[in-house]
Amino acid sequence: MAEMWIHMGPQHPMTHGLWNLRIKVNGETITDAVPELGYLHRSVEKIGERRKYFMNTTLTDRLCYASAMTWTHCYCLAAEELMGVVAPPRAQYIRTAVLELQRIASHLMWLGAYLPDLGLITGFLYGMRDREMFLNLLEIPSGGRLLYNYVKIGGVKRDLPPGFEAKAERVMQTLERRLKEYENLYDNSKIFRMRNDGVGVYSASDAINWGITGPNLRSAGVPFDLRQADSYDAYPELDFEPVTNTAAGGGSDCFSRYRQRIDEMHQSMDLVRQALAKMPEGRVMADSVPLRASGEAFRRTEDSRGEALMYLVGDGSDRPYRWKIRSPMFTTVSAAPHFLKGYKMADVPAIMGSLDMCIGETDK
Amino acid sequence: METGQLVQQLVKHEGASDGSVLRSNVGRISITREASQSFFSTLKNDFGFDHCSLISAVDNQTAFELVYHFSIVDATGQMLEVHIDLPRDTPTVDSITHLWGGADWHEREAYDLMGIYFIGHPDLKRVLLPDGFAGHPLRKDYVYEIHEEEW
Repeated sequence: MAEMWIHMGPQHPMTHGLWNLRIKVNGETITDAVPELGYLHRSVEKIGERRKYFMNTTLTDRLCYASAMTWTHCYCLAAEELMGVVAPPRAQYIRTAVLELQRIASHLMWLGAYLPDLGLITGFLYGMRDREMFLNLLEIPSGGRLLYNYVKIGGVKRDLPPGFEAKAERVMQTLERRLKEYENLYDNSKIFRMRNDGVGVYSASDAINWGITGPNLRSAGVPFDLRQADSYDAYPELDFEPVTNTAAGGGSDCFSRYRQRIDEMHQSMDLVRQALAKMPEGRVMADSVPLRASGEAFRRTEDSRGEALMYLVGDGSDRPYRWKIRSPMFTTVSAAPHFLKGYKMADVPAIMGSLDMCIGETDK
Repeated sequence: METGQLVQQLVKHEGASDGSVLRSNVGRISITREASQSFFSTLKNDFGFDHCSLISAVDNQTAFELVYHFSIVDATGQMLEVHIDLPRDTPTVDSITHLWGGADWHEREAYDLMGIYFIGHPDLKRVLLPDGFAGHPLRKDYVYEIHEEEW
């Protein structure tokens, strides 16, 4: 049969954001794929060079609307490294707690987006309903629903109000109960399994070489978690091990990526509890944060989607001379053609959806 | 291997200089662009740096600078920052996509936004900006058609 190119995007139910996937098909089988990005490119790095260090936290929030807290946190860590500032212990614990709450919210957003990709529209409502509880929780200290601007260079904006622990505990207990229902519903659903099992398979060694990180790498059985390997904030003092999953035939498939994120939500709830229980008293901002910086520094964090890295170069002025962002999805999407080839056209939403795309951070 | 030892061994490589330790698990080294290809092969094959985290291009006005961040995917979180200086009139360097597949789009981005040419890259074209865009906007001498206001 003659091969032809088909555009899935920039406006397509599969894309979750504005991007284009060109696929070459032979009948129904994909023989080649070319992702095309840039529709949402706002040149965050260049805008950042024109603004003062502390102003850039509003930009970093907008890198990913589903995981704003983690991106601002990564920027603040890099800036703290550059300026030689250390956040006080209480601020570090608060950061750890809100980062994990954000991770749960982000994974629920993924769950709510992934299930309609497979035709399960009810899953969208379940995911969004539960995510709302966590957005409400994050709104308590930050005042924002999606874009928090809460983590600051040298600490966090303000302390957690009294009673936060109890509210968080109530929300997490609800989610635990509901996750059990979802796992029963999806894991045992024949249709869900047929769309997921053995689809979009890649091996652990390929994933590492292609630069795939985060849940997508751990779902191939690689216990690599930057919260542990390149630890920051209060994570060294918490008790946890990276969770991993593997596909039935080895490597990572759509189902192991789904399981990975469900397991990570359970792990995150455990980490929130630990962080809230161990939280010391004290200030939440460093005594003084310099406005100017020189030299170069970088930090990387475990974002909800993988390895986030920010590299900052200062020239002694109050604005960054150069600011470079590593987006985990940017690299993961670049590898997508490798594991799209050979599958059917109808598998594209499952494969791309299971990666947890976020175009805001990918296009920067 | 400790970072100090690692840097000491790597700095013996031809063209390498300025070895230092940034953090307990992060080393830093500079390399000439002529020796970069054999240095990167050594890094991947003999020292086990299996993950290319990021390639950043910096415009230092007199010259360009490429900053590579490599890491090892294990619990040590070992990282190495490699600097290469490129002359401003010929910003070319050998591609590393054959060693690390993940470097593919990082190199395309450095070409797109900073105009660095990677020799041997399989498909060096713009990735974020549209085809036909003139210039490389992250260069310091790029002229914007906007009002320069003081914030």
